[in-house]
Amino acid sequence: MSEDSLVPSPEETILEVDGVEKHFGGITALDGVNLSVGPGITGLIGPNGAGKTTFFNCLTGFYTPEVGSIRFEGTDITGARPPAVAQQGMVRTFQIPRELSEMTVLENLLLAPPDQTGERLSGAWVRGDQFVEDELDVRERALEMADFFELDHLLDEPAGNLSGGQRKLLELARALLTDPEMVLLDEPLAGVNPTLEEKILERIHELEEQGYTFLFVEHDIDVIMEHCERVVVLHRGEVLTSGTPEEVQSDERVIEAYLGEVDV
Amino acid sequence: MAVADFLITLVTFIAIYSLFGIGLNLKFGFTGLIDFGHVAYFMVGAYVTVVLTLPADAPTYGGIGGFDLPGLFAALGPLGSLFGWVLGVLGGMIAAALVSLAVGVPTLRLREDYLAITALGIATILNTVVKDEDWLFNGPYGISGVHKPLVDVFPISLGSFTVNMAVFGLLSVAIFGYVAYWLVNRFRDAGRTGRILMVASVGLVSVWYFVMPVVDGGGTVELTKNVLWLFDPTAGPNGGLDYDRFVLLLSLGFLAGGYHWVERTINSPYGRVLRAIREDEDVPQALGKETFQYKMQALMFGSALAGAAGALWAVNIGFVSPDQFASTITFFAFTAVIIGGTANNKGVILGTAVFWAIRNGTRFIDVPSQYSIQLAAARLILIGVILMVILYYRPEGLLGEQDYDIDLPTSLRGGSDDV
Repeated sequence: MSEDSLVPSPEETILEVDGVEKHFGGITALDGVNLSVGPGITGLIGPNGAGKTTFFNCLTGFYTPEVGSIRFEGTDITGARPPAVAQQGMVRTFQIPRELSEMTVLENLLLAPPDQTGERLSGAWVRGDQFVEDELDVRERALEMADFFELDHLLDEPAGNLSGGQRKLLELARALLTDPEMVLLDEPLAGVNPTLEEKILERIHELEEQGYTFLFVEHDIDVIMEHCERVVVLHRGEVLTSGTPEEVQSDERVIEAYLGEVDV
Repeated sequence: MAVADFLITLVTFIAIYSLFGIGLNLKFGFTGLIDFGHVAYFMVGAYVTVVLTLPADAPTYGGIGGFDLPGLFAALGPLGSLFGWVLGVLGGMIAAALVSLAVGVPTLRLREDYLAITALGIATILNTVVKDEDWLFNGPYGISGVHKPLVDVFPISLGSFTVNMAVFGLLSVAIFGYVAYWLVNRFRDAGRTGRILMVASVGLVSVWYFVMPVVDGGGTVELTKNVLWLFDPTAGPNGGLDYDRFVLLLSLGFLAGGYHWVERTINSPYGRVLRAIREDEDVPQALGKETFQYKMQALMFGSALAGAAGALWAVNIGFVSPDQFASTITFFAFTAVIIGGTANNKGVILGTAVFWAIRNGTRFIDVPSQYSIQLAAARLILIGVILMVILYYRPEGLLGEQDYDIDLPTSLRGGSDDV
């Protein structure tokens, strides 16, 4: 990693992962991942089975790493439960969109914002002014977000009726409504048509300018090259290399990882 | 027995089991928790309420208590003793909720089907404990002499026979009128199949209730009894409102309370989280919701409602014993919820009514006595067939999932978002 000129300085580091390991029976999914992520859009690539999704699951508390530590904005979140990680400000999307299919698009969005008075049993029973104020506030934000992602004409539609691409948008919109600092995107473009892909990427850039941090798993190398400032390559549960897209692209080990041993 | 008396018993049953079913629906319909041990909380509610309200020196009772809460407040008159009973019911509900807390801590982390089996096992164990440990609640002998709230006040008589008949009769007719009005409104909203079903069922029930007594030779006396159903001519010297009818009204009151309480809970951001857990628990977790707490609260709340239903059950029957709380009660409630509409509180009431009307209403079918066993079996077959037909053609139940709406005053911030 010595060649990576883009490793964030300690003050800039938002996420710091140190020696994380995760095994499933005899399979080593993560074998000591070291990584620091700073502001902006960081791409995470690697061949199938490299451990990208396992890594996301470890970061967001769905798996507990056996060894190593994860620090997010200076707080140790190793082994924290998923809700605690999300409350800290790190939110994820799922590789296969997990819309709540029997609930409407609007309800999917309304679910996300944190600390709603009506989300507590006491709040739901008493229904004071705070309840009403929070609910109106949450609705306003959900509608704005729906506008931003062009889901506004689908608000009353059950989320199960959305197309694959719209589900990806809904998933992203919902994640953003939790007021995150950092968003982990697990293949947000898989199965999305080129037009919608452009739209999603455009949105991500707009959000980056607003100060969000993204860690972005994607298989399309062109997208990664064009849109990420920094790329991290994961291979067999380890960070193979990282750096600017150009550096990574020309690294022989990366080509080997994707294509197998190259005979010279 | 007049048909009216039978109907009163049946509707009391339906009200109590609907309350029980609404508790189950909160767990199963809205939160997705498959609790095959729901009857355990029915039992806990019944027993704890009975013991809390039982006199200290109750004959033939050798278990814990009784604590005679109604007696404690008896000095305040009948209302004081009613208050004591209500405290007893609260105690029963809290006990049911606490038992479900103890059950939930280890089991709620399990996935759906494991939870279902574990809950069934725990309910069976609890039932066996109550049955085998005599010192606890009198074991297999059960508890007789259950305190019946306000029983001394009944029958209520307002004066002469004529006055009683006029007042309670008018009330009865008014209630019939309201039901008819409500049915007409439902009829207008219903689709074609709904209308056919409504005409058929309302027609059949009307013929059975209003025409059959006359044809059967009961004449106008039977018909009058049926029409003026709140008035019992044989209660007291001048007739009046008897205790069975009071238990019916009490049960309906509890059902209405439980219904609105659950509706308020469901139609809120809290209910949104519950439904998100039902759909896919990982999603609310990833969004920062502490889903375990929500599941635990839903379990406790649903169990408390089952506990209240248990308390009413004890009053209605007047006797509790462990045999009354077999697991079949849980599965009857599941059947009712699935028939009426999972995640639909009105559907639960409809499903419970259909279920118990078939189960108990078919007793009126006259068959030679040697076929009565076959009739009992045919009843269960009929319910099974209905369940299968519904699961096949309308898996969401007769009414389907209900709509949700959070009431927000439009005055704030100038107008709602109309969504």
